[in-house]
Amino acid sequence: MQFSLSAIVLLGLSSLVSGSLTITIPSSGPLPNPHVLPATSHATLTTLPSSAKDHILSASLTRAATFVFELPTSPTAESYLLDIRSAGGYVFAPYRVDVAADGSVLGIWETFRGNPWDNRGAEKYVVDVAGKRVDDVVVEAKLVGRKAFYEERAKFSPLSLVKNPMVLLAVVALGLMFVMPKLMENMDPEMRAEFEQHSRSSPITGATSSAMGGGGFDLAGWMAGASNPAASEATQGGSSGRDTSGPARRRG
Amino acid sequence: MRLKALLFAACLSPAVAIYSDEVNHVDFHHALLGTPSPDSTFFLKPSTASNASLLYTLSDKLLVGAVNPRDGALVWRQNLSRSADSPTRGAGLLRGLDGNDALVGAAGNYISSWSAQDGKLGWEKRLTEGVVADIELLELEDATATSGIRDAIAVVGSDGVGIVRRLDGATGKTIWEHKDTSGDVPFQVSSSSTEVFYISLQSAMLKGYKIKVTALDPVTGQQTRQQVLNSDTDVTTPESVLYVGANSASPLIAWTDKSQKVLKINVIGTKEITSIAIDNTSGSDIRQITVHAPNKLNSLPHFLVHFVTETGSWAEVYHVDLRSSKVTNAYRLPYLQGQSVVATSVIGANVYFTRITEAEAIVVSSASHGVLARWDLQTPSSEVALHSVSEVVTKGKSLAVRSALFREHGDWQLVRNGQVEWTRYEGLVDAVAATWAETDIQEDLVHELEVEGHETLYGAYLHRVKRHVRDLQHLPDWLKDLPTRILSSALTDEVSNLDSFGVAKPVVIATKNGRVHALDTGKHGAVSWSVQVAETTQWDVKAILSSPGAVTIYPSDGSSVTLDILTGEIVLRTEPSDTPLHTIAVLSTQDSTSLVTAGVGADGAPVTALTKEDGILVTTSADGRVRGWIAEDSKSPVWEFVPPSGQKVVKATARPAHDPVASIGKVLGNRSVLYKYLNSNLALITAVDAKAKTASFYLLDGVSGMVLHATTQTGVDSTQPIASVVSENWLAYSFWGDVTADESSAKGYQLVVSELYESPLPNDRGALDSASNYSSIESLPLPHVISQAFMIPEPISHMAVTQTRQGITTRQLLCTLPSSNSIVGIPRPVLDPRRPVDRDPTAAEVEEGLFRYAPFLEFDGKWYLSHARDVAGIREVLSSPTLLESTSLVLAYGSDIYGTRATPSQAFDVLGKSFSKLQLVLTVVALGAGVTVLAPMTRRKQVNALWKA
Repeated sequence: MQFSLSAIVLLGLSSLVSGSLTITIPSSGPLPNPHVLPATSHATLTTLPSSAKDHILSASLTRAATFVFELPTSPTAESYLLDIRSAGGYVFAPYRVDVAADGSVLGIWETFRGNPWDNRGAEKYVVDVAGKRVDDVVVEAKLVGRKAFYEERAKFSPLSLVKNPMVLLAVVALGLMFVMPKLMENMDPEMRAEFEQHSRSSPITGATSSAMGGGGFDLAGWMAGASNPAASEATQGGSSGRDTSGPARRRG
Repeated sequence: MRLKALLFAACLSPAVAIYSDEVNHVDFHHALLGTPSPDSTFFLKPSTASNASLLYTLSDKLLVGAVNPRDGALVWRQNLSRSADSPTRGAGLLRGLDGNDALVGAAGNYISSWSAQDGKLGWEKRLTEGVVADIELLELEDATATSGIRDAIAVVGSDGVGIVRRLDGATGKTIWEHKDTSGDVPFQVSSSSTEVFYISLQSAMLKGYKIKVTALDPVTGQQTRQQVLNSDTDVTTPESVLYVGANSASPLIAWTDKSQKVLKINVIGTKEITSIAIDNTSGSDIRQITVHAPNKLNSLPHFLVHFVTETGSWAEVYHVDLRSSKVTNAYRLPYLQGQSVVATSVIGANVYFTRITEAEAIVVSSASHGVLARWDLQTPSSEVALHSVSEVVTKGKSLAVRSALFREHGDWQLVRNGQVEWTRYEGLVDAVAATWAETDIQEDLVHELEVEGHETLYGAYLHRVKRHVRDLQHLPDWLKDLPTRILSSALTDEVSNLDSFGVAKPVVIATKNGRVHALDTGKHGAVSWSVQVAETTQWDVKAILSSPGAVTIYPSDGSSVTLDILTGEIVLRTEPSDTPLHTIAVLSTQDSTSLVTAGVGADGAPVTALTKEDGILVTTSADGRVRGWIAEDSKSPVWEFVPPSGQKVVKATARPAHDPVASIGKVLGNRSVLYKYLNSNLALITAVDAKAKTASFYLLDGVSGMVLHATTQTGVDSTQPIASVVSENWLAYSFWGDVTADESSAKGYQLVVSELYESPLPNDRGALDSASNYSSIESLPLPHVISQAFMIPEPISHMAVTQTRQGITTRQLLCTLPSSNSIVGIPRPVLDPRRPVDRDPTAAEVEEGLFRYAPFLEFDGKWYLSHARDVAGIREVLSSPTLLESTSLVLAYGSDIYGTRATPSQAFDVLGKSFSKLQLVLTVVALGAGVTVLAPMTRRKQVNALWKA
C-alpha cells in the first residue's frame, strides 16, 4: 500500500521535485495500530537554509499511516533533521536525512539529539552507488515511547485505610486487649505465675497494672520519678493487698 | 543513558501534571476555525455505513474542520494555508459528497484530499500551472472508477490558460486534462449525470463577459460541444454571476441585469436564457440575491432565489422542466421584515428549504408552498444571521431540522427545531490582546478600610463597629445559605469554591475586527458578553489594562476605550491622537498604585514626555536601535544601543511587571549562599545577522544602557522563531542551531538558560559587598553568568514565566510549541545551569536538588499544561498570580483560546480532589464508634478489678 501510494505520488510530481521519501510507521508495542495516530501528526525535515529555498519540509499523516515528502532540488546537497511529532504523546526517534542536490536521498541514519551531527546511529538507508537511482525511498519510523500526560490520582480504597500505620497500631492494641486475657486463661498456672512475676519486674507494666487497679494513677508523678505510695508499696510489698491481679487470680 | 537522565528528571521535578479528572475543570479551550465560508460549509454523512453526519467547513483562515453537530466539538481540523505557497485568490474551496469518505480542499495552488472521518491526508498536490479556480466532485461512478472514492474535477487557471483536470479520488493522479488556451477567464466547473461543463468568461468586444460553456466527456475529457451565452451586457465582473450549479439533474447559471430587475437563468448545456422579472414589492432596493439549489443528481430540479433588501427579505421557488428546460415560478415565500437566511436540504429526491428569520424557523417542500413545520426561536439573537446550512430529517410524518447559522460578529450556532443547541465563538480566532479583569466586589471594603486608616483611633473604631453592625444585615442570608454550602462542599470538590481566591477571574479579549469579548473562566470560558467597540477589520490593539471593575483598551491610533467589566458597557472613550503609535508601554506610577501608558512612535521616541512616571523607558525603533528615555524628556534619549553592523534587533524583553523575588540568594548544599544578581531594569535584546547566520543576545541595564552580558550563537536560522524571556536573576532563549563549518556541532533546536549571580563565590557579594543600595550609573558591577544549553526536540515560538503572588513557588518556563500545538511548562530546577556536567552530583549537590546534566532535554509528558489538547496558533501566553501562592493563571491566545491554572510546586495550599472528605468523616465516625464500644468495657473491667481486689 505504501509503495503504491508513493509511486502514484511520484507520477503526479511536478518538474521541480525529483525524489520522494516515504516514512512508514510500523506497528509496535506502544502503538499496535499505527492508524490510531491523530490526524495532526506530521513529519518535518529541517535544516539551515543555504539559499532562499524551502528549508523546512512538512508532511501530514496519510490514510495509510505514512508521511510522504517530495524532495526539492537545491544548489547543494543538504543534510536534514527528520522529526515526527504526534499529538497523542508518541515519541519517535529523530533521523538524519542526507539529500543530494538533485533531490535524491543519499542516506538515512538514526541520530542522537545532543550529540555531534557526525555521530550517526543505525543506518536506515544508503544510496547504492553502483546500482541505478532510486527515486522513492521508503524507511520505517522508530517509535521510542509514549508520553504520559496525566497524573494518577490515588484511589480511595478501604484497604488503604487498613494499611495506615495508625489504624494498624490500633488494631494491634485492640487485638492484645481481647486476645491476651484469653491466652492467659489457657496458660498453665505455673507459667502464668512466672509471666506475672516477670511483668511485675518491668516498671511500666507494674505502673499500668497499678493504674488499672488504683484508678487514680499519677502519670506526671511517675514520669518525674516520684515514688507513688501505692506503687512503691506494690513493688516493695510483693504480695500485699494493693497488689491486684496476682493473689486474686491465684485465689480464683 | 538518555532515558535514565529523563527518568531522573521526572523523579526530581515535583509532580505538576494535571489529573485527568481535572480536565475541563481547571482548564478551558476554544478550538476555533474562523469564519466559515458560505460556499464551503455543509452537512455530510462521511460513511455509507452510518446515518450520522458531521458539519464540515473551510474557514477564512483556510482551516478545514469537521464539527460534531451534536455538541459543537471539533472532530478534526487541518490547516491548508501552511501548505499553499502562493497567495490564495479569495477563500479556499472545500467539496464533499454524502457517503464519500474524502473531502477535497483547495487553497491557492494547493489541492488536497482528506479523509472525511478522521482528517487524514489522502493525497496532496502543489500545482505549478496556476491557482485552483474551482473544484467539483463527480457524483456518478462510471466504469473507469477504480476505488470507492469519487473523482474530482479541478479547474486550474493562470494568465490566459485554463486547465480542466479529472483527478483520481484515491490518488490524485490526473486521469485526463482539457487545456483551454483561448484567453478566457477560467471560472467554474459543473457536472450533470452525463457531462462535465467547463464554464469560462469570454471578454466581449466592448466590455463585460460572455459566458462560455464547454461540455466535456467525463470519461475521456474530449470536448463535445461549446456554447456562448450573450451575457456581456449584464455580466461585467466574474462576481456578477450569481450562481453556477453543480451535481444537479439540471445544473444552471443565474445572473441578473444591472438594475436587478430581471433574473436570467440558463440550464447549462442549453442555449436558452430564461428571463424572469423580479417582482419587488418591498419598495426598497435589493441588496443581495442568492440562489439555493440542491446539489444531488437525483433530486428534483427545483431551486430557490432569496432576495434581501435593507429591511426585509423574500424568496421565490422555481421549477425546471427537464424536457423543455423551461423555468417556471412555483411559489413565493412572503416578504418579511428583518433578515432571514435560507438553506437547502435533500432527502432522496425531495428538496426542502429551511427559512430562519429573527423569530422563527420554517421548513417548506420545494414542491408546494405549505409550511411543513414551524418553530419559534427560543432565544432570538440580536445578531444578524449571515448564512446557514440545514439538515432535514423525516420520521414518518414528523420532521426535524437542524441548521448551523453563522451570525455577524462570529457566533456559529446550531439551531435544532428552534432551540439553540450550541454556539461556537469563531470571532475569537482573531484575538490580538487579552487580559484578566478584576471585578470590583472588594472595592467597597478597600475604600472603607482606607477611611478607617485616615481617621483618629476613636473615629476609626466607631467606623468599624458601625460597619460590622451594618454587615449584620447579611447574616440571615448567610445563615440561609449555610446548609446548602455545607452540603455542596461535602459533595463536590475544591474546584467550585476557589473562586474567591481569584482563580476564576473573567478574561477580556480584544479581536482584530474591533470587538471585545469577556469570557467566564468559571464556565468553561463561555462568552459572557461581547461588544463591538470599533468598526474596523484591522483593529491594532497595543495595550489592554485592567483596573477594578473596568478594562481599558489602547489601540495604535492613540485613543482609548474603557468598558465596564460586568456588562461590557462603554464607560469612557478618548479621542485618537495625531500620530499613530508603534507600541504602547505600560508603566506604574510613582506610588505604584495604578498603571499608566506611554505611546511610542515608529522612530522609537515617546510621543509625549513622561511626566507623572518616575521611571525609565527603553524603546526599540523601526531602524533597529534601542534607546533609553527618562521622564520629562521625550526629545533626546539618555542612551542608545546600536548592534554591530549586519545585525538587526528583532526582539526586546524585560522582566515581567509582577516578578517578586522570595529569596535574594540561593542556598547551597553546604549552607553557604550564592547571591542573586537582582536588577529590576534588565532588558534582553535579540539581534540576528541573517547573512552570517548568527544570533546575539545582549543583556542591558535599562537605566544606563550598559551591556551586562553578551553572547553570540552561530549557525542560527533567523527565519525560525527565536523566543526569549527574562525573570528574577535568569534568562532563557531558544533557537534553531545548525552545524557550523569549523566544529562538530549538533543540529537541532536549542534552549539556553543563564543565571546571574553577584559573584562566583558563595557567601560573597563581590563588589557590592555589604552595600544595601547600588547605582546603575556609578560603577554598576557586572554579573557572574552561569549558562547551560540544552537540545530540545521542538521549536519554541513564545516564552513566558509563571507568576505567583509572592514568588515563593518554583517558576515554570512556559513554552509554546507550535509544531505539536501544545504549551509546556518546564520546571526551573530542571533548567538549572549549575547541574554537574560529566559527573554525578556530590552529596551537597544532591541536597541542593541538582542532578547530572544531560545535553538533551526531552519534554516530560507531565510538563504539558495543555496535556492532550491540540492548542493551535498560539501567539502569546500570559500568566497572572492569584491569591493562592501555589496557583498561577495561564491564558494563551492567538488563534485558539486556552486557559488553565499552573501549580508549579503542586497545589500545596489547596485541599484538592485527592483530599478525601469521605475518608476523614469515616475515620472520625470509626473513632467515635470505637470510643462508645470500648468505654463501657473498660469501665466494667476497672470495676471488676476493684471488686476482685
